[in-house]
Amino acid sequence: MSPTLTIAKREFRSNFDSPLAYVVICLGLIMLGFIFFFYNGGFWQADRASLGQLFFWLPGGLSVLIVPVVTMRLLAEEKRSGTLEMLITLPVRDHEVVLGKYLGALGLVLVILLATLSYPLFMFWGWWHLGSLDSGPLLAGYLGLILYAAATVSVGLLFSTLTDSQVIAFFITFFVLGALVLMGNFANSIPFPAVRTVASFISFDARLASFARGLINTRDVIYFLSVTALCLMASFRALERRKWA
Amino acid sequence: MIEANGLSKRFGAARALDKVSFEVERGEVVGFLGPNGAGKSTTMRILTCFISATGGTASVHGHDVFEEPLEVRKRIGYLPQRAPLYGEMSVWEYLNFVADMRGLDQSTFKKRMKSIVEVCGLAQSLGKDINTLSHGYRQRVGLGQALVHDPPILILDEPTSDLDPNEKAEVIKYIKEIGKERTILLSTHNLSEVEAACARAIIVSKGRVVADGPLDEIRARSGKVRYVVTVHEQKVYEGGEGYRAGARKPPTATEVQEALAKLPGVTAVSELPTDDKAHSFQLMGALGADIRPEIFALVVQKGWLLLEMRRDSQSLEDVFKALTRGDERRDRGRKLAVDEDEDEDLDVAPKRAVAAGAAGTDDDEDDDEDRDDADDDADDKDDDDDKDDEAADDEDDDKDADDEDDDADDADADDDDDDDDEPPAKKA
Repeated sequence: MSPTLTIAKREFRSNFDSPLAYVVICLGLIMLGFIFFFYNGGFWQADRASLGQLFFWLPGGLSVLIVPVVTMRLLAEEKRSGTLEMLITLPVRDHEVVLGKYLGALGLVLVILLATLSYPLFMFWGWWHLGSLDSGPLLAGYLGLILYAAATVSVGLLFSTLTDSQVIAFFITFFVLGALVLMGNFANSIPFPAVRTVASFISFDARLASFARGLINTRDVIYFLSVTALCLMASFRALERRKWA
Repeated sequence: MIEANGLSKRFGAARALDKVSFEVERGEVVGFLGPNGAGKSTTMRILTCFISATGGTASVHGHDVFEEPLEVRKRIGYLPQRAPLYGEMSVWEYLNFVADMRGLDQSTFKKRMKSIVEVCGLAQSLGKDINTLSHGYRQRVGLGQALVHDPPILILDEPTSDLDPNEKAEVIKYIKEIGKERTILLSTHNLSEVEAACARAIIVSKGRVVADGPLDEIRARSGKVRYVVTVHEQKVYEGGEGYRAGARKPPTATEVQEALAKLPGVTAVSELPTDDKAHSFQLMGALGADIRPEIFALVVQKGWLLLEMRRDSQSLEDVFKALTRGDERRDRGRKLAVDEDEDEDLDVAPKRAVAAGAAGTDDDEDDDEDRDDADDDADDKDDDDDKDDEAADDEDDDKDADDEDDDADDADADDDDDDDDEPPAKKA
């Protein structure tokens, strides 16, 4: 197995060595359940066989709760405890470390996303038979969420690489991702047109909205992929910085 | 096997390493000594390609650490300071992870584990989480992970820090065991460990190599022996030659000092602080000559009441202190540039003499230049006395000369001046 995958595997499994992952996943799913079915009347009052609510709430939940918690330890903890030295002096390239860490964290987030698949499965194909669901927006929505997860995890990884404090990594990731998700809402009320354009261009939620409607726009796909690539590159550079600083 | 050539490293404005050069030959166990912050870990991190040097080159097993870091890392087993391990993994999982990272397949890994478990004494703790292990066991696991791939070279950064004395002894035992067929660079600031495990030592201070060679040779570095003589300030020995000759007055400090300074081979006499009624002096004598008989004869002749006389053996620790304290002084630097390196090497350890000796002289030259450069900013906080204190030398016992220095004179009544770390001794 390549070093990248070995690191990813270890990273993924280490999430389950502490109760944190369990707590976050469970609480996250429970909250999602309540919000989806009951918040403001929730799913039942919408009277539509739509998972729009899911795609509306899930990104925010991922951003402010799950991704910061999952990514905060990635490199910050390794730096703080010194295990990074041990890891990097194994025959492994720096980019393999970054990629391995990234894949390990992304894996966990994808598992959480996968868990939310139980909603459509139970509601529309399984036990409840609530009606026939339009599968197009569902698949597009999940594709959007996967891309979104890829981008947000890379942002979290970057901040974890830049600091050696988990707490700082958590809060910076929390605020940056929170801002990116909420930006779409605020963009319209920004008085300066130029700023408004920029804000709506970089906001995550505006781009996710089209996925949730079943529209796969290459611009959105490329946007998320670019953010991911950019943050991974930056993380790689940040990790390399140790050599010279 | 390991070659460092003029390694320099700056952290911002601070200079962590300054043209560090040394060589470690195949099969050597070399102690890498220095006070905290001397640059030991920095050097090791450069050798393991964790950080890059600002200047100079280094190669491990023939591979340059800057050009081929992966090749270097494949051949090195590295234990960083404090053995940072993933606490949440069990010992077996962790070692398995390291083996995976090093591309070992499962059957090779299991085969290797048999010997590692035996050498490192891990049989009882394989299933335990690393978090729950004591420091000593963590170090064992750290050693284990460094050995998983059976590397020809081991770099161990303070493998015995944070350990209790028993654990230290254990780890040193493992290192000796492991070192039978491997090249080991072992950093520590515990000198007794070096004496236990290594035949050769490299001493670094403030980012420079200040000594490099076999331990015996390093011990003989300062070339001087220190004597301590204490006589009573208010009494004379009634019944002695001097008393009968009419000397009833106790000696003054100046008298004693002058008389001692006239002894053959004495290069310096300085008064030591005392808090009881005694004059205490330290004498520096040449290495190889023992002037204790002369001192005794002098005391008898003068009729002084001798309270203490001892000759300090020069331990590695003394040399270490001497080398690492005032190393920026020009004269001290000169003294260290011992040219007989090669000859002594040949005597002590013929098989590595050629290479090590050659390396040694190279280093010395480098050092000289460095020192000249650095003289401008050399701070003179150490005074001469200090230096002389440390500069005694002998092959007798290893004894903590400095400790005794400090309280040599507020002694009570004990004897036996050759015991280690005894409370201050006096002879009536």
